Amino acid sequence: MKSRFALTLLSLWAVLTLNFLLPRWLPGDPLAALLDPDSSSYVYNAEVRGALEAYYGLDRPLGEQYAGYLTGALSGDLGRSIRLNQPVTDLLREHLPWTLLLTLSALIAASLLGVIAGSEAAWRRRSPVDRALVVVSVVASNAPVFFTGMILLILFGVELRWLPLAGGRTPFARYDNTLAQVRDYGAHLLLPALTLTLALVGSKFLLVRNSVIGVLGEDFMLVARAKGLPPRRLKRNHALRNAIVPFVHHLAAHAAFAITGALFIETLFQYPGMGRLIFESVVARDYPVIQGVFLVVSVLVLGANLLADWLTARLDPRTQEN
Amino acid sequence: MTAPLLAVENLRVTFALPDDPHTAIRAVDGVSFDLAAGQSLAIVGETGSGKTTLARALLGLHPAGAVAGNIRLDGRELTALDEQGWRPIRWRRIALAVQNAGTAFDPVQRAGDQIAEPLREHLGLSGSDAWARALDLAGEMGLGERHLRSYPHQLSGGEKQRLMLAMALSCAPDILIVDEPTSGQDMLTRAKMLALLDRVRQDTGISLLLISHDLAAVARLADRVAVLYAGKLAEVGPARDVLQRPRHPYTWGLLNAYPNMSTARDLRGVRGGLPDPAHPPAGCRFHPRCTQAVDECRRVDPPLQPVRDRLVACHLGGLQTLLRVDRIAKTFSLNGNGFRVEAVRDASLDVLEGEVVAVIGETGSGKTTLGRLVAGMLDPESGAIAFREQDVSDLSGAALKSVRRQVQLIPQDPFDTVSPRLTVAEIVREPLDVQRIGAPADRVAAVREALAAVGLPDGDSFLTRRPHELSGGQLQRVVIARALVLEPKLIVADEPVSMLDASEQAKLINLLKDIQNERGMGLLLISHDVALVRKVADRIVVMRDGAIVESGPASRVVTRPQHAYTRALLGAAPSFDWFEDPGPASGA
Amino acid sequence: MQITLPQAARAVRRPHAPAAIRRLAASLGGEGVIGLALLGAFAIVGIAAPLLAPYDPADFSGAPLERPSAGHRLGTNDVGQDILSELIVGARISLAVAIGAAGGAVLLGLLVGGVAGYAGGWLDTALMRLVDVMMALPQLPLLILVTALLGAGLGQMALVFAALFWPGMARVIRAQVLSLRRRGYVAQARSFGAGPVYILRRHILPAIGPLIVFGLVTAAGRAVVFEAGLAFLGLGDPTAKSWGLMMRYALNLPGLLLTDRWLWWLLPPGLCITLLILALNLLGIGLENHLDPRLKRP
Repeated sequence: MKSRFALTLLSLWAVLTLNFLLPRWLPGDPLAALLDPDSSSYVYNAEVRGALEAYYGLDRPLGEQYAGYLTGALSGDLGRSIRLNQPVTDLLREHLPWTLLLTLSALIAASLLGVIAGSEAAWRRRSPVDRALVVVSVVASNAPVFFTGMILLILFGVELRWLPLAGGRTPFARYDNTLAQVRDYGAHLLLPALTLTLALVGSKFLLVRNSVIGVLGEDFMLVARAKGLPPRRLKRNHALRNAIVPFVHHLAAHAAFAITGALFIETLFQYPGMGRLIFESVVARDYPVIQGVFLVVSVLVLGANLLADWLTARLDPRTQEN
Repeated sequence: MTAPLLAVENLRVTFALPDDPHTAIRAVDGVSFDLAAGQSLAIVGETGSGKTTLARALLGLHPAGAVAGNIRLDGRELTALDEQGWRPIRWRRIALAVQNAGTAFDPVQRAGDQIAEPLREHLGLSGSDAWARALDLAGEMGLGERHLRSYPHQLSGGEKQRLMLAMALSCAPDILIVDEPTSGQDMLTRAKMLALLDRVRQDTGISLLLISHDLAAVARLADRVAVLYAGKLAEVGPARDVLQRPRHPYTWGLLNAYPNMSTARDLRGVRGGLPDPAHPPAGCRFHPRCTQAVDECRRVDPPLQPVRDRLVACHLGGLQTLLRVDRIAKTFSLNGNGFRVEAVRDASLDVLEGEVVAVIGETGSGKTTLGRLVAGMLDPESGAIAFREQDVSDLSGAALKSVRRQVQLIPQDPFDTVSPRLTVAEIVREPLDVQRIGAPADRVAAVREALAAVGLPDGDSFLTRRPHELSGGQLQRVVIARALVLEPKLIVADEPVSMLDASEQAKLINLLKDIQNERGMGLLLISHDVALVRKVADRIVVMRDGAIVESGPASRVVTRPQHAYTRALLGAAPSFDWFEDPGPASGA
Repeated sequence: MQITLPQAARAVRRPHAPAAIRRLAASLGGEGVIGLALLGAFAIVGIAAPLLAPYDPADFSGAPLERPSAGHRLGTNDVGQDILSELIVGARISLAVAIGAAGGAVLLGLLVGGVAGYAGGWLDTALMRLVDVMMALPQLPLLILVTALLGAGLGQMALVFAALFWPGMARVIRAQVLSLRRRGYVAQARSFGAGPVYILRRHILPAIGPLIVFGLVTAAGRAVVFEAGLAFLGLGDPTAKSWGLMMRYALNLPGLLLTDRWLWWLLPPGLCITLLILALNLLGIGLENHLDPRLKRP
């Protein structure tokens, strides 16, 4: 756990440093181009250009730039958006909750579905239901999220008109009560979350199924059966309890994948999260925002990694000592 | 007799191969046995013989439909039960200690909780009562609270094993199945485990079903032994008798392969390997590895039937008695003056299939005469010699010729018994020519094969050599090859190696034993060299002045001789006792 | 010489058939065979693209937004280019990026993993820390940042993918190298007087070969996913119209989803991407099942 923490810090430093170095070192001098009147990406707004000059400080020595960047990043100054002329931190603060809402609800839904279906399929392995679920999972987890998203969008949004097509809430809506607000947010969340859940559930299902099958072959499961325990207890206290360890361990990797998926889905559904932000920033070559998103997503993923490791250690007594 | 606690009848367990569902494997095929209350039965056999499958069947752990036959516990039929019906039987009546205690515990739960689990399930104890009971059980195994609170990975192998036993005994079952309690353990751990099981048995009066290939453990813990081969029982009987005098050739092979401290004999594996379970051989499943298999063995599966004190599944009633010598006598008259020497008096001995019986004694003790009588070169004056249960004196004509062919003598001095004018090929094929066996070309092939079997070149240049061109060891091998071409069932070897130096002796005696292991036959080894014969002999017969003064298992005769003459012979045998510091020179 | 029965029985049961194909099928399993077949189909389309495509996809061969017809089986796009031709030539682009990225990632992984495994010591520790950090970083945001800064050319994209994908390969190769060093047979071969070429050919390559193939396939799969994703986000190479870029352009048409135009413009490239990824992953599953179990992905 200690080494894991050190690795997280090291990774965090790597993220910060990459974020600092990439715009400066990559060929083509993209930052200089922003300030070069002859360049196509010249920033005409003088106020914004001034802020950019101050933030990147390209005329100062590299060490000084680095120190300035680090202190700024750690105190929450991530520069200003070129496109919107707003502090990047404000933009992130505005978009992050939507992404978290989408990602977490899909992660939770996919985890529940994956664990339940996975362990049931393992108990009935080689049955028609199991075989069908495996095939569906492999296909579903291989389709790119923006493609499944489109199909769902066309099906439920366009053809059936059950759900709103885009956005995180009904524009300009005023809510009479909290329930109405929740319903509106929920209706907008449903399709993106369903898309992400579909993208996530396949691998979770397969992971749980395979771990449970692995556990079922263990001696201690034989002993547990020989003890005359009821099937419910066998499944929950022994099989699932053991299979959940690798599952939780993989949650971190899934979290990174989920956030990545969310970025695409938000673009597709025009959901007001960070994916939307990054998409619009890419179009406008709004480097400070892209850098900010990279930083925030990295911190989220690293945090998820750390959390998953901590949970794994809690769940598996074998990892506690070393 | 009261009904047994557990009665298994014609039990069959059939699986489909996982990657080939159309091929069925019958891992246990028609096994029947009883287990009385308080009794201890061992099921022995090689890895893959079906022991563990059998044990799991007794707990209903196989998939539905895999098990057929009857399992009766207190007269109640268990095979018809479904998963739900089995649950009250499991652990409460029949508990299982699996082979590897290291994997018997769920790694993410405390050991104590796992011991308490069945107590809560079957006896309805509360959590704290179950824990208290688990603590008692652990206490009986010399372990305490700390061990119960530990996770499996925090416990040593020995601790896990004791806790597994505590777990198995938690609901005070009637029957404890112990699967390979000693496999993979060092000798000290093994000894502790055996002592523990022994104590448990005495303290609780539990019925023990011991699954093992550890024959010494079986001898210590079991009242009866059932030998399982490829899913079928080969031999069932009282533990001591079966292990001391096995009847089934497979039991005999297992014992020969089992390393133990009570013999100086070398280890011999059972030739061949277990059959493919998906395609077991027709007839007796052991016949491809059996050295005494006859035609019937290849066609008909032998039933398990009573043979004297036990049950044996063998058409021949178990290991054949190849030679039975019953109180034979032979006297020679010296110089025709009426003075007679009793060369052999009242001598009796048996040689079983695959057995090496050594006759030892000093020169003039009558052992050579005994050998020549057995080989048919002399006729006994009284008593009888039976070969494969047929009295040789009753035979004549072709039958006698066949017996002669099956008993071959390897003489002491090879130079004496080969004509110096014949070539190697002619020497070795002589018996075939004499008995008119095979076409001439076949005979040459047989000669080459026999020469190869004794480790000699079988090329033409060697075949045309003559005795004076060969060394003593080579010539003795030629003589052995000559004995082998007739595919004998009994070889009488009269001091076969005494003319050779120690290195050649060692090679030849091992060669003889190898040939026996592969081809199967009895070997009557006549020798004055106790040190040598104890490396190969199963039984030793000691002769003096024409009479047998002592006979018994080789290990017993060597370690605890009964007769003063035997002790004298042993005392005179070469030994390096005067070495103070053993070990070869370092060469530095 | 005695032939044991099982051998004889097996020899009878498995008749001699097209041996090489049977062996390959047996070693890949059902998933692997399907994956390989699909991949083969895509490869053939990609290689023969100029022959198969009815038009040059850059040509304005029809009116804008034509519906499917005999002349344009999948209709035309908003500027009148033939969609089917775009689709066929698009296979080339996806495969080219995949091959370039996978090849680069595997080469880098081999280099770093091999050096770390053989050198050991501080170099090993440092390289493995680097691998740990690289694997902890979220790849897509990093890719977006780099591509946005660098501009998107196909070659650059493949290079960037390779630079991101090598750590997994390096870790596996290092583990295998360490295990080869631990195991006796290399030392044994050396004691028989075997030279380095022999050891490489006889022991190292057979052990590492399957890992290389597996690494290539998984890296290729991820490259296809990310290329499509970046193109979809508008970061693709505008001069090379990949399937992802086709979808991006289609979606840029306002109200596309409200008509049935998506059926021939959006669905085919989406299905192609899905099938290609599926093919690579199925092949990966097939390969993985037959690798040394100790070296499987964690």
